Amino acid sequence: MQDKTKHDLIIRVGGEGGEGVISVGDFITQACARVGLDVYTFKTFPAEIKGGYAMYQVRASTEAVYNQGDIFDVLCAFNGEAYDMNKANLKAGHALVYDCPGDFEPEIPAGVFAYPIPMTQTAKELNNPRAKNMVAMGALSVLFNIPEASLREVIETKFKRRGDAVVQGNLTAFERGQELARALKKTDPWAIGVPKADAKRDVIVMSGNNAIGLGALIAGVEFFSAYPITPATEVAIYVSKHLPKRGGTLIQAEDEIASISQVLGASYAGKKAMTSTSGPGLSLMSEMLGMSFMSETPCVVVDVQRGGPSTGMPTKHEQSDLFLAIHGGHGDCGRIVLSVENVHDCVGLTVTAFNLAEKYQCPVLLLSDGSLAFSTQSIPYPNPDDYKIVDRLRWDGKGEFKRYALTESGISPMVDPGTPNGMHIATGLEHGESGMPSYSGENHETMQAKRFNKLKTVASDMPPAEVDGDGAADLGVIAWGSTIGVVREALQRLRAEGYKVKGFYPKLLHPLPAQQFEDFGASCKRTLLPEVNYLGQLAHFVRAETSLRPESYTICGGMPFTPEMIVKRVKEMLA
Amino acid sequence: MNAPVKLQERFHQVQLEPKDYRDGVASFWCPGCGHNGVLTSFLRALSDIGIDPQNLMSISGIGCSSRLPYFVKSYKMHTLHGRAGPVATGAQLARPDLSVVVTGGDGDGFSIGGGHMPHMARKNVNMTYILMDNHIYGLTKGQTSPTSQLAMKGTVTPFGSVEEPLDPIMYMLAYGATYVAQAFSGNVKLASQLIKDGMEHKGFAFINLLSQCPTFNEIDTAKTFKSACEVMDTSHDITDLNAAMQVVQKARQEGRLASGLLYKVERSTLDDRMAELVTRVGGHKDYDLRKVIDLSRP
Repeated sequence: MQDKTKHDLIIRVGGEGGEGVISVGDFITQACARVGLDVYTFKTFPAEIKGGYAMYQVRASTEAVYNQGDIFDVLCAFNGEAYDMNKANLKAGHALVYDCPGDFEPEIPAGVFAYPIPMTQTAKELNNPRAKNMVAMGALSVLFNIPEASLREVIETKFKRRGDAVVQGNLTAFERGQELARALKKTDPWAIGVPKADAKRDVIVMSGNNAIGLGALIAGVEFFSAYPITPATEVAIYVSKHLPKRGGTLIQAEDEIASISQVLGASYAGKKAMTSTSGPGLSLMSEMLGMSFMSETPCVVVDVQRGGPSTGMPTKHEQSDLFLAIHGGHGDCGRIVLSVENVHDCVGLTVTAFNLAEKYQCPVLLLSDGSLAFSTQSIPYPNPDDYKIVDRLRWDGKGEFKRYALTESGISPMVDPGTPNGMHIATGLEHGESGMPSYSGENHETMQAKRFNKLKTVASDMPPAEVDGDGAADLGVIAWGSTIGVVREALQRLRAEGYKVKGFYPKLLHPLPAQQFEDFGASCKRTLLPEVNYLGQLAHFVRAETSLRPESYTICGGMPFTPEMIVKRVKEMLA
Repeated sequence: MNAPVKLQERFHQVQLEPKDYRDGVASFWCPGCGHNGVLTSFLRALSDIGIDPQNLMSISGIGCSSRLPYFVKSYKMHTLHGRAGPVATGAQLARPDLSVVVTGGDGDGFSIGGGHMPHMARKNVNMTYILMDNHIYGLTKGQTSPTSQLAMKGTVTPFGSVEEPLDPIMYMLAYGATYVAQAFSGNVKLASQLIKDGMEHKGFAFINLLSQCPTFNEIDTAKTFKSACEVMDTSHDITDLNAAMQVVQKARQEGRLASGLLYKVERSTLDDRMAELVTRVGGHKDYDLRKVIDLSRP
């Protein structure tokens, strides 16, 4: 087992969907964030509408947490299925808290610290069978030092609107769980660390999907259209709650083609507009992305990637839409593609996506992924005033308006419908400066150059890709999306063991900032590129557009990498 | 979003001749094409309604008919095959203070774009949809469309089509359009009146204009469309859905096409309901985002 210090603890709670597994995870997460611990959660939902195995894993630390971790330190099993699903990973040194008497009798592996807690029975004795999860949470709080006062506050806050009796019923069950745990002798070494005195407590806790919605609100989204699709639907759900408060419009379209079409219509009409989807939906949108590029109509498209192709593994994690995001569409079609590492990015890069779409009048795709979609993380409170907001260049009303005027930057002023003397056509046909169709070869070459040339400065509008580590390295690891957080931790561990390793974390994936890759590659003897897809999609582009020849490390088992997997591969390469 | 404005604020603002609404671009339609009648009718309707061209958004998809916006002074979009409807929906919701008119063909609207039609109708998107129905794909040079007659010969149906046509009017009535009308495009007096009324109607107005393709459709000629649309079917209660459907069916049985304003009811529009929703939650563009962000404090 990896050498862990006490500052960092991973608790996994598993049980039947509907038993309150998700609530326990949420409560522990909120309580830890309240006291200033950094939290990063990982969950799997049952595919069933009701019932089925549900799992919620909380990682809480006094230090920054970048990923979900390798495996749990503590397993809390509400039922036999939860135990069975996880027993292969239950190893010497781990702690197991389980329902006893319950529907199962675990064989406790040697070296596992086991704590039987009568969760079901106690809740029944209290005439409150639904509070089984509170009994478990009480026990966990005592056994692993989860901040008790904070947990009580969270319980009170969450159940307040259901009345005092409900609050009291849950607190009673929580306290019973605590008593049961106190009666047991603690034998394991695990405990959540005490937050540092200067720990940041001005935080919010959000999922990746909600954070994208928040980023859109900060960016000033005015129109949002989407079609339901796992795992992206929560973006629309979040925005639907809050956009009307800002006077904006959210519509559920009849399909993804209609969503992106409505977005383009609203954008042409002068509004900041976006849609969110997953891979299958993005496939359907690809023709309209071409229209967006050709007609120079800004749009933001969020793709929360899932396992593909076809219907694939809709609830599972994958980073496999990069080919589609960059090249999906017919003809030579440009766009900007960004990818997010974590919840913090989901806010900030969504704002960036809007800014770039407005500035460059083209489609901007923001790639998130299945594990980040539902992962809740604590992030510093985002002050809306701290974000730079860019609006499209609008015509000043002077002279004759030419929608596609050839300018030095390639960016032509836009005009909102209803403006005097600004009438024009936005068209998907090749056109001259005024918008009128023109099929001459010379004109097509001129206009394609205009549309592509303007994208040449995109890299300069963003901070350069982060380089993790200094000096010359024996191995450089390039990562994108939520894999970055895994690599960060792996490199910390490797450096602690004396390995000379560096990381490179691009967030702008297209147009690829090739020179930044070259500079990074020049400082590394070899490079490795782990990504969660079969084909090694980013590695393909890096090989095609730079002189780097990264070794691909691909997995597609529906789960993210763990730090230990990266550590192992790096050690093998450097052996 | 911009608040919806009353129709009278948008209309009867200017006095312009039909020709004043004509953009300078030369028409690319064949001589004898029924679409010329649609254009003439549209220009006349715009003149009659007195709309300032800058307050009009004219949106189309792909096809012969979809070139129409190029010929009309307005803000306009020439989009993708089948997608004019949803693009227009987005534009209309973004700018409910402007008039939105979609022009498109039978293939554009009822084949590739068929999935969007029911939703514009049931949601009662406040716009006018002029379907230029020539029963054929013209721009791709003569294939059968969803409104082509059974047994019609096209370039991909050399032995005759084996498919039944759909009836755009029955379709729109069934899906909840709040204004449904039909005419022969050569009947400029009627067609322009129906377009004007459609634009003045608050809600989704669908106008099917039978428009001959003299180049590729030998069956449905100006003459046959004219004679099929000769009798006006306006004696029924136009707010009665069953009566409207019966009129359409009866005309079919008689070998005619029901003509005139066939159905018209008032129903709250999508943009009105969106605006009501914003009002209900006290929405405004300066709403403090911190109140939203605070909800995510642990």
